Amino acid sequence: MILTNNPLVKTCMEGRYAVQFFEDLTLREVLVKARDMVYNGHTLYTHPLAGSVKPNETPYKSVVVSQKPNEFSPEQAQIIAGSIEVCDKFSPQSRTLTRKVLEDFQLIDYTLLSGALGYDAAAGLSNATNKK
Amino acid sequence: MKLELGFIQIRDIQFSKECKVESGTLYVNADEVKDFIFQDDDVKACVKAAHFDIAKPGESVRITPVKDVIEPRVKVEGPGGEFPGVIAKVDTVGSGKTHVLRGMAIVTAGKIVGFQEGIIDMSGPGADYTPFSKLLNLVLVCEPVEGVHQHEYEHAVRIAGLRAATFVGELGRSLTPDETQEFETYGIKEGIEKLPDLPRVAYVHMLQSQGLLHDTYVYGVDAKKIISTLINPTETMDGAIISGNCVSACDKNTTYHHQNNPVVADLFAQHGKTLNYVCNIITNENVYLADKQRSSDWASKLAGMLDLDGVIISEEGFGNPDTDLIMNCKKTEQKGVKTVLVTDEYAGQDGKSQSLADADPLADAVVTGGNANEVIILPPMDKVIGTLDYVDKIAGGHAGSLRPDGSIEAEIQVITGATNEIGFNCLSAR
Amino acid sequence: MSYRVVHYINQFFANIGGEEMAHVPPELREGHVGPGLAFNQAWKGEAEIVQTIVCGDSYFAEHEKDAKAQVLEWVKEAKPDLFIAGPAFNAGRYGYACANVCQVVQDELGIPVLTGMYEENPGADLKEKVLIVATTNSAAGMRKAAPTMAKLAMKLMKGEALGASCEEGYMPNGIRRNFFEKERGSKRAVDMLLSKLAEKPFTTEYPMPSFDRVAPNKAVKDLSKATIALCTSGGIVPKGNPDHIESSSASHYGEYCIKGVEKLTSETYETAHGGYDPVYANENPNRVLPVDVLRELEKEGKIGKLHDYYYATVGNGTAVASAKKFAAEYAQKLLQANVNAVIMTST
Repeated sequence: MILTNNPLVKTCMEGRYAVQFFEDLTLREVLVKARDMVYNGHTLYTHPLAGSVKPNETPYKSVVVSQKPNEFSPEQAQIIAGSIEVCDKFSPQSRTLTRKVLEDFQLIDYTLLSGALGYDAAAGLSNATNKK
Repeated sequence: MKLELGFIQIRDIQFSKECKVESGTLYVNADEVKDFIFQDDDVKACVKAAHFDIAKPGESVRITPVKDVIEPRVKVEGPGGEFPGVIAKVDTVGSGKTHVLRGMAIVTAGKIVGFQEGIIDMSGPGADYTPFSKLLNLVLVCEPVEGVHQHEYEHAVRIAGLRAATFVGELGRSLTPDETQEFETYGIKEGIEKLPDLPRVAYVHMLQSQGLLHDTYVYGVDAKKIISTLINPTETMDGAIISGNCVSACDKNTTYHHQNNPVVADLFAQHGKTLNYVCNIITNENVYLADKQRSSDWASKLAGMLDLDGVIISEEGFGNPDTDLIMNCKKTEQKGVKTVLVTDEYAGQDGKSQSLADADPLADAVVTGGNANEVIILPPMDKVIGTLDYVDKIAGGHAGSLRPDGSIEAEIQVITGATNEIGFNCLSAR
Repeated sequence: MSYRVVHYINQFFANIGGEEMAHVPPELREGHVGPGLAFNQAWKGEAEIVQTIVCGDSYFAEHEKDAKAQVLEWVKEAKPDLFIAGPAFNAGRYGYACANVCQVVQDELGIPVLTGMYEENPGADLKEKVLIVATTNSAAGMRKAAPTMAKLAMKLMKGEALGASCEEGYMPNGIRRNFFEKERGSKRAVDMLLSKLAEKPFTTEYPMPSFDRVAPNKAVKDLSKATIALCTSGGIVPKGNPDHIESSSASHYGEYCIKGVEKLTSETYETAHGGYDPVYANENPNRVLPVDVLRELEKEGKIGKLHDYYYATVGNGTAVASAKKFAAEYAQKLLQANVNAVIMTST
């Protein structure tokens, strides 16, 4: 299950994967959601700190967890909790991002997610454009 | 495998009607190079326009946003050609003779995405943080065709830069090098016979492999798709590994870094004297956790199979690669192979935060390329090659980063190669 | 106009005497005494020691509160630009005194402080709170220590930015600072590997954060028969805090009987912890020490029983060494009482 606040992920991957889209959550809030699920035993599939774009630069985050809870993993709990700590050490940026820049951040998050899942990012984008 | 590098020292670059290298000066006809670049279908389809510019050390010039930096080289003897699997065919490289136009680089610039980054200042305080301020840079500024997708455009710009480097490198084919150097690693059996008493050492080279603007290619193969494997160090000198990565500027390895890998160079410097440099182990940094486990299990397995005594492990990037770095370290140490890690730090602007996203007591030997969050003020430059439009949005920049007088206040994250994690620079932290 | 400095030294360096005179209370002297001369010489008139405070190491150890109060009073009056202590080299109580007296001057008066000692000196525990120059382990190192300390002190007085710890000579204090090495990173890595392989000493450029990993015990076989004890570092104590557990830097723990207590209430219990907003814990102390839930589990037969005693301290700013000491002690009591498992709540 993909936990995300990235509308591009919703558009391109909904239907193909289980997507929980949190339109109004911040990047950190998405991580906290993922953390809570991991604490409840959901398996963490992707590393929450994907990409070198820093957490205080991009507003978008997608994390993949299992749809159903399995066995609790302390290592995975450490990874997601640690990721939130890493987030917190970056000073918040006060920038107004143009629509174009936001779209680019969405694209990066989406391609990193696609890469992780072995999903054809380009195909996903084409499908999305065709749907419109 | 043995490779001889012939260095041709470039001391100046000039635009001219001719294309040649003479007495240390590169004369280049920009149109001819452009024609060659645009012969590629992808470049033709995606790049609307490109123009060349020259930036020399000491000039009041700022190049931004920077995509990649590439050194012109040409294979003059032996199988294959530079950038195998991308420009040349896939024949295995790393043997024979290669000429290097040293002292210069091709720099691709121009935006791929709106927040993209990479600043090279040719003078001033920023110049101290990038090795590229010391090179003569032939800058290729590209513009996308309207509506083309970013990943297609990134590919096209990547190819354009490599083609430019190939064209210019070719100009060094028939010259007599100013200096030659030989590099040779031995097979397993040969190495043990020749250097029985020296510790067996390898270089575990972690490659960024996460997605758009975060990819590396090995013989043209996306590193995301590889299983940890072995490669001869001399293969990297012929462009076997190239960069599709440009985020963040400070710790991404440009193609130039891959061609001139300093860990490779410094291991070779001791090879046969204090250690037996066996090979490189390349491994990736995928986002999928199971991939991380597979890759680190595999890399450490190879280290064990090769009966290594020690490895140097370098990473590329921030955040989740720290997890790979620590996994590689732990598993390798647990196999009885000693490790030294090379990384950089994100300790916050005040230097007080935890530098790495992951840690382990077994990682007791670490070399650092410095804290990327440290803030710097870059004074205005007389000339900008590229555009300053994105400075506010680049990693390490912030609203108001670009001040009215043209100076930039940002973290050293924005400077290309500033905190390089393969030990290219002297910058460090304590 | 040169900078004014107050210097703290012990009875030995003031030439009063050795161990036999370690009990002397603090005294205030004009100008420099003992090693203070070396600092003055290094500062070449740009700064000078206007007063020296001499205090016996034993006196400080046994009357820490009073000693600190006296030092603060004198320093407050002198209004110096810098407070410098030691160097203490390997003298443990002296190092402890130097570091602690520096900390209180820094925290209460906001005056820049500096001290120096050997890395293994117990006072060095405070290296992340107070700037400490690393010295050798004997006073023979004064030749090097004094100029290093003097140079760093001058930077502090001038308000200049400090370089990296290895450049300036202070103990790494958890604040990372960039600087340029002579050799590139890859060369440093190769050299470090060669040293590591030859089992020669080397220094890592980035010490990993210190770990205290404890391997988990085996799971309790049958919870329904087990005695579970509650412990906390969240500071839940009987109302009125009868044992006066400090709200920060706790010096002890409390052992409290909850036999017959079904749940904690705001009338009978409170929190002593000074590190979080106490409102909700005071309203309902079960939120931090879940006696109510454990009693329910007891009634339901899910656990055997809730142990009659709980152990509490305040984790706020409490030294790791202290926490270890407390736990080592009451762990024994728990073992003797045949407790099978402990739930430790923290905040």
